[in-house]
Amino acid sequence: MGGAGWLFLFAVLMAAALLFTSVFFIIMFSDLECDYINPIDLCNKLNQFVLPENGAHAFLTVLFLLSGQWIAFGLNLPLVVFNALKIQKNNHMFDATEIFRNIPDHKRESFIKLGFYLLSFFYYLYRMIVALIAESE
Amino acid sequence: MASPAQQLPPGWAAEWDPANQRYLFIETASGHRQWEPPAMVPAAPADLVTSGSPPPTHHAKRRQYAAGQTHAYYGDAVAPDPNYGAMQPPPPAGGQLFTPGLAAENQFAQQQQPPQPYYGQPQPAPEYGNVPAYGPGPTAVGGGAVNALADQFGQMGMGGQKQFQLYTTNLLTSPPDPRELLQPPPEIRLPPNACISPSPHANAHPSYQRSTLNAIPTTSSLLNKAKVPLGLILTPYRSLDEGEEPVPVVTDTVIARCRRCRTYINPYVQFIDGGNRWRCCMCNMSNEVPQLFDWDQVRNQPGDRWSRAELNHAVVEFVAPTEYMVRPPQPAVYVFLIDVSHAAVQSGMVATATRTILENLDRIPDEDGRTKISIICYDTSLYFFSIPPGSADSTMLVVADVEDVFLPKPTDLLVNLVECRQSLETLLGRINGMFQDNMTVGSAMGPALQAGFKLMSHIGGKITVLSSSLPSVGQGALKNREDSKILGTSKESGLLQAASPFYKTFAIECSRAQVSVDMFLFSAAYQDVASLACLPHYTSGQTYYYPGFNAAKSEDAIKFAREFGDVLAMPIMLEAVMRVRASRGLRMASFHGNFFVRSTDLLAMPAVPQDQSYAIEIQIEETITTPFVVLQTAVLHTTCYGERRIRVITLALPTTSNLSEVFASADQVAIATLLANKAVERSLTHKLEDSRDHIFAKLVEVLTTYKTSMTAAGSGASAQLAISENLKMLPVLVLGLLKNVGIRQSAQIPPDIRAYSQALLTSLPSQLLIPYIYPNFYSLHNMPPDAGTVGEQGVIMPPPLPLTSERMERHGLYLIEDGQTMFLWIGRDAVPQLVADVFGLPNYEALRGGKTTLPVIDTPISQRISAVIQKTREMRRGVYYPHLYIVKEDGEQPLRLWALSALVQDRADVLPSYQQFIQTLKDKVNGVGSY
Ligand SMILES: [Zn+2]
Repeated sequence: MGGAGWLFLFAVLMAAALLFTSVFFIIMFSDLECDYINPIDLCNKLNQFVLPENGAHAFLTVLFLLSGQWIAFGLNLPLVVFNALKIQKNNHMFDATEIFRNIPDHKRESFIKLGFYLLSFFYYLYRMIVALIAESE
Repeated sequence: MASPAQQLPPGWAAEWDPANQRYLFIETASGHRQWEPPAMVPAAPADLVTSGSPPPTHHAKRRQYAAGQTHAYYGDAVAPDPNYGAMQPPPPAGGQLFTPGLAAENQFAQQQQPPQPYYGQPQPAPEYGNVPAYGPGPTAVGGGAVNALADQFGQMGMGGQKQFQLYTTNLLTSPPDPRELLQPPPEIRLPPNACISPSPHANAHPSYQRSTLNAIPTTSSLLNKAKVPLGLILTPYRSLDEGEEPVPVVTDTVIARCRRCRTYINPYVQFIDGGNRWRCCMCNMSNEVPQLFDWDQVRNQPGDRWSRAELNHAVVEFVAPTEYMVRPPQPAVYVFLIDVSHAAVQSGMVATATRTILENLDRIPDEDGRTKISIICYDTSLYFFSIPPGSADSTMLVVADVEDVFLPKPTDLLVNLVECRQSLETLLGRINGMFQDNMTVGSAMGPALQAGFKLMSHIGGKITVLSSSLPSVGQGALKNREDSKILGTSKESGLLQAASPFYKTFAIECSRAQVSVDMFLFSAAYQDVASLACLPHYTSGQTYYYPGFNAAKSEDAIKFAREFGDVLAMPIMLEAVMRVRASRGLRMASFHGNFFVRSTDLLAMPAVPQDQSYAIEIQIEETITTPFVVLQTAVLHTTCYGERRIRVITLALPTTSNLSEVFASADQVAIATLLANKAVERSLTHKLEDSRDHIFAKLVEVLTTYKTSMTAAGSGASAQLAISENLKMLPVLVLGLLKNVGIRQSAQIPPDIRAYSQALLTSLPSQLLIPYIYPNFYSLHNMPPDAGTVGEQGVIMPPPLPLTSERMERHGLYLIEDGQTMFLWIGRDAVPQLVADVFGLPNYEALRGGKTTLPVIDTPISQRISAVIQKTREMRRGVYYPHLYIVKEDGEQPLRLWALSALVQDRADVLPSYQQFIQTLKDKVNGVGSY
């Protein structure tokens, strides 16, 4: 298996992991709305995952850039910029005092990310297969 | 300019046409317009209007005062004292002082239509000043209102539910009348047999809980159509009025609650099945009546169910059994963190604060002798005081390491108030002396908070912080981020948010440990009130701000000592959680106020002070099918004498599917309170400008809907600006809010002042909030003879004037007050006699502007003015003791502008006058221009 194959295999695994974090976030928000968890614990829990998630996604994007996968890089760039802006404005963490006011926004964001990771997952899978076929030919 | 409107025959109105620079005369009935004045009628128009149609009571009365102005100087109306002001004829109205609105106020003098009596019942004009603002308590003073209500209930039993009558008024021709704000909200008209109790107290008094709509729309589409925001304003722990009965307590721990929705039994449930079961008024569940419900446990004999307090009173307290406790009731704990840095000691804050605590040790709630106290002083180090029980002395322990805070001693730092009384008194007497020569600059407030928290976190209670400087070392250190360049720009709202995450995370820790924080701030320089106010905001505390405090000025010392003393003496609800339940279909959507939202509908309040107000926005989730709905607030708390209790407040409101009823039942005071909360929230999440636009757009929406659905004009253009009589004051209240320091468009307001004002806007109950956005304005030099004297219900207040400087005469003396500050405005041509009688000085020139205490002079006018000022300070709830400033008409510019900014109906810089505002509203409503 060549470079592109390995890269997209890694990307598929990363996308799956990111997919799971999004699902986890959405489940936690639903728990909060059903009062299964209090906002303080929720924020403490979720905030541990925010930076790793953003970091993993940025890392993947950088890999695409380095390996010259321009389409994949271009697809991921907007989300990296979005995350970076949030970190720069220092509002990337969940705030327990405001969480109930912002929960619809947070949920929407998580759903959009979920959709994005899902699509990326299939795209990477496709690219991986294409790379494998190209190699075997 | 002659005021043609004064001489118009009835049925005519005059409107100033700025384009043609002349008056346009309109016959209101036919809409006929002409440039020539209509034929004069010799008699006074007011008298004519009175005959035949319902009397326009207060407007006629106001004109009467205006006519009598030149005579009634004071006291002696029969033989007016010619000395005051008579030297010079009163100047023509308008134009002399401040830029008044475009058209003379007089244009409004002629009522287009005689005002309709309020809600179909002719009511006598309110005896101004005898009706306590917004809060005619259910007993004593509010007798009239309650009786009227009771009559209504009586009639209702026979004739079925009465409809709300909608009376439309034209804002262009009826000026705001401050007296309207004293009217009770639109009456709640429940269907017959909704309530099982005949008691007048069976529905919550507006001072406890009021809804923006007193008839709830049955569907959310109807609510969306009406555009009026639906919300609940509540002050569950309000102080009692003088002579008011305390809240009834159910002591037998028999607490009947719905099995499904956990609603407490209340006067709106139904007994079924021969009285063995009760049907829940919220979810319709049939519940068993508890066995001991009909048993009198005190006399040990069968009791009368119908006399139980929870079935007769909307506000009631239950003594809670152990199921309602997670731990035995905690004692009250007070930890004082006193800033003893150089600035704090030099300003006299330390001396005043310690003396106030010392003098109020007896008033601190301690009925059960369990109250604990600790005092920690701090500059850049922490100073603990160890008071071993039984010893008459205390030892000071210094902790200089503020990075990793620890308690220097495990015991004796938090001591019992009774046991250690002697040594506490000695200590309080000595603190100021100990730090008299302290030259340390800087503040370790964050570490001090952590230390205080460590000391009490196993119990909970109240931390009171007294600080004169910006926190500079340790956790929570802040930087001076005040930057005059970004004031007035879109970045300004950043200055109103917490600068350091410490103040939010620490607030959450406090809330978890049942610790509440009160902030008393004194700095003359930037102190970052916005960040510091976060702690009280999320822990149900309160921020108090004394900018530039200097105890050498006796006014400063008295104000702080009064307010701090009252805060110390205030009973508090400890370890409280609040939940509002409502009938099916209604959902509490968002919460505003000082608390931490612990779950979707549970508000955590570690220590609830008295007279703190909260606002909740309500959503209609599904169609309501019941003829009335119930909103019930329950506050589970521990009293400061160690009893677990539940305070339950029940409000029942009729429902309606009729848009006109929705408008007719709207409560403008509650709407303004809700809008103030929403505006502040929006200014933090968005920008200040967005927040102003938002509330303005809200008002335009309401007026537009009203025009299109309630008037003949429909969606076409209209020469009128119509609104229902009960919402008449809403535009001027919104204008006042837009001009309030917390929201106002300006590049000159220091962020600290703004942040404090926003803290007030979100925590003041309506009774204090309304004057804060729409101040009171009285003319004192010519007040009616009985004003300032003691009447049947205390001191009689002069009639309030509309907030415009057109009302000001050059020789006059005026009082402007907003509940936080009072201005005594004196015109430059004030006669020496007036100055001598009121201020004890020879003439106007000898008078100095600024903070003052009125001298006691043995003249009738001096005593009456003192009585008015005294009454102003006492007539509202809350601990606030407003400063009195003398403002000379030609005095210092900042003070003059400050006082004049309270006259919200005038134009000021870019901010419109009331007439301009109304004109803009009319254009927007008619679709001219865009927003
Ligand atoms: Zn129920």
